[in-house]
Amino acid sequence: MPGWFEGVSRDIGAAWAIARKDMKIYYIKPSILVSSLLFPFVMFLAFAVGREAAAGTLIPGLLAVTLLFSASSIEPVSIPIERRTKTFDRLLSAPISIRAIVLGASLSGALFASAIGVATTVIALIVLNAGVMNVAALLLGFALTSLCFSTMGTLFAAYRTENVGEVMSLLNLVRLPLLFISGVFIPLASMPGWGQSIAVFSPLTYAHDLMLFAFDGTTLFGPVIDVAALVLAIVIFQAAGIFLYQRSRE
Amino acid sequence: MDAIEVIGLTKRFGDNVAVKGIDFAVKMGETFGFLGPNGAGKTTTIRMLTGMTKITSGRALIHGHDIARDTLAAKRLMGVVPETSNIYDELSAWDNLIFTGRLYHLKKAEIERNARDLLDTFGLYERCHEPAGGFSKGMKRRLTLAMGLVNNPGVLFLDEPTSGLDVQSRRLIRDVVQDLARKNVTIFLTTHDIEEANVSCDRVAIINRGTIAAIDAPEKLKQTFESLQSIEISFDAVRPGLLEALRTLPQVNDVRKEGDKFRLYTADPPEVLSSLCTFTQEQNMRPISVTTRGPSLEEVFIRLTGLSVGTKGEVRETDAGMV
Ligand SMILES: Nc1ncnc2c1ncn2[C@@H]1O[C@H](COP(=O)(O)OP(=O)(O)OP(=O)(O)O)[C@@H](O)[C@H]1O
Ligand SMILES: [Mg+2]
Repeated sequence: MPGWFEGVSRDIGAAWAIARKDMKIYYIKPSILVSSLLFPFVMFLAFAVGREAAAGTLIPGLLAVTLLFSASSIEPVSIPIERRTKTFDRLLSAPISIRAIVLGASLSGALFASAIGVATTVIALIVLNAGVMNVAALLLGFALTSLCFSTMGTLFAAYRTENVGEVMSLLNLVRLPLLFISGVFIPLASMPGWGQSIAVFSPLTYAHDLMLFAFDGTTLFGPVIDVAALVLAIVIFQAAGIFLYQRSRE
Repeated sequence: MDAIEVIGLTKRFGDNVAVKGIDFAVKMGETFGFLGPNGAGKTTTIRMLTGMTKITSGRALIHGHDIARDTLAAKRLMGVVPETSNIYDELSAWDNLIFTGRLYHLKKAEIERNARDLLDTFGLYERCHEPAGGFSKGMKRRLTLAMGLVNNPGVLFLDEPTSGLDVQSRRLIRDVVQDLARKNVTIFLTTHDIEEANVSCDRVAIINRGTIAAIDAPEKLKQTFESLQSIEISFDAVRPGLLEALRTLPQVNDVRKEGDKFRLYTADPPEVLSSLCTFTQEQNMRPISVTTRGPSLEEVFIRLTGLSVGTKGEVRETDAGMV
């Protein structure tokens, strides 16, 4: 169906243009790059120091958290700012679908976070002398986890405000609890039953599980379920994003 | 087919109805002005026509494409220059143009050719690789206009394109717009600047509080308001009570003091001139200068929007219904 194909190719073209624009404006900046790269090491020091656990076992959790934060931090800032400077109107008046806007905004965060994930892993492997069992699973995990959480960030920015603080505080209301119910800091096995039943609804749980699998093969759900859960979360977040951005056009 | 056709277009923000079921049509290649005071609903109308905001009720068609249903086809045809110069400050003028071209799904070569031409037309070529955030207000405005033209639109929407600019930038933008009009681009522009509407527009709609008070060619609008012809007169000396005395002259509708001059509004200038002659002799005053003028679009505008004319400060019921 050429009409359908034409529509999809236009959407992808527009999403890619938006992603490149966002990368150029918001991501490829020394301060952002440095702080994003320092983040996992600060987290590492915070959690590794004074614990008996081998440093290497912390890596999957740290990676999951790093991806969560670096993927979901920029769009909730840039979109309210673009509303204020009225550049967001440009996207609304251009012949592109809301789908392309949501995908484009999420794509830049996803690419950025994946790159941070790779850089963090390389440094961690050198410093801690650890090893990766399954590189393909790791890279797939980076891509899906990053896209999942960058879409989540974009989703929160659908809240129609020009005030960055409002979006960030809403986002943190969800993002911070995720850390504690996803088995990253508290292993799922040592959580109470109710905690475990919440954990299955957190995409971070599967992201973490997939990282664990990639590093040393230990996994709770298995890579297939992890990947499926992350894909499902991406689809749900994208759909919700499209719905909310459609509605926020007043 | 009309370039823009608007039927019962309405926009409601909560209890506030910003645009109240307006109807109009803009012909292909026409330059159509939307003139109205602050808060009249000009920007809201443009935002609905360009798909930036949802329409509460009514319809808007761009070259026959319904903006609400056939959104992308309608948007592909248009260029938009919003009220605020919304450029990406962090990007260069060049990158701003390239990005905009990509949103219109144009080929790389075409975008680059258009970008070069536009930068040249708008005098931005020399500084096209600096971040646009450092541009002056006029340069930002010109870049915004260039971005609105990158897809060679058939219909161009301009929301107050020249407001707050110096003579040179204003001139440049006006020339570009007139040039586009010659190339048969349909232009829909809003403005506060009555002279701009008068000079550039084939037809003008006067909008006030969300309703259209009149639509016509600028000259025809003026003709409708014969009573707004005026005589401008200045005297060698001004004495107290002069204004009131002038108001009592027959056929004079209103008198307004403008600096050292008085403006007498009348439908019958010759009659008023002759009574002025008698008046000055009686009062033993000498006129220094006398000019008669037809109604200016400004006066028509003020009359139609129900704002006061002259020092009486009265608010007149508009004659808009007849137009
Ligand atoms: N997003 C919005 N939310 C609520 N009310 C709005 C919104 N946008 C516009 N309005 C209201 O709609 C009315 C028309 O506003 P609009 O901006 O269209 O006027 P305008 O003719 O463009 O005025 P100006 O000459 O000042 O630009 C105003 O009463 C305004 O308060
Ligand atoms: Mg306005």
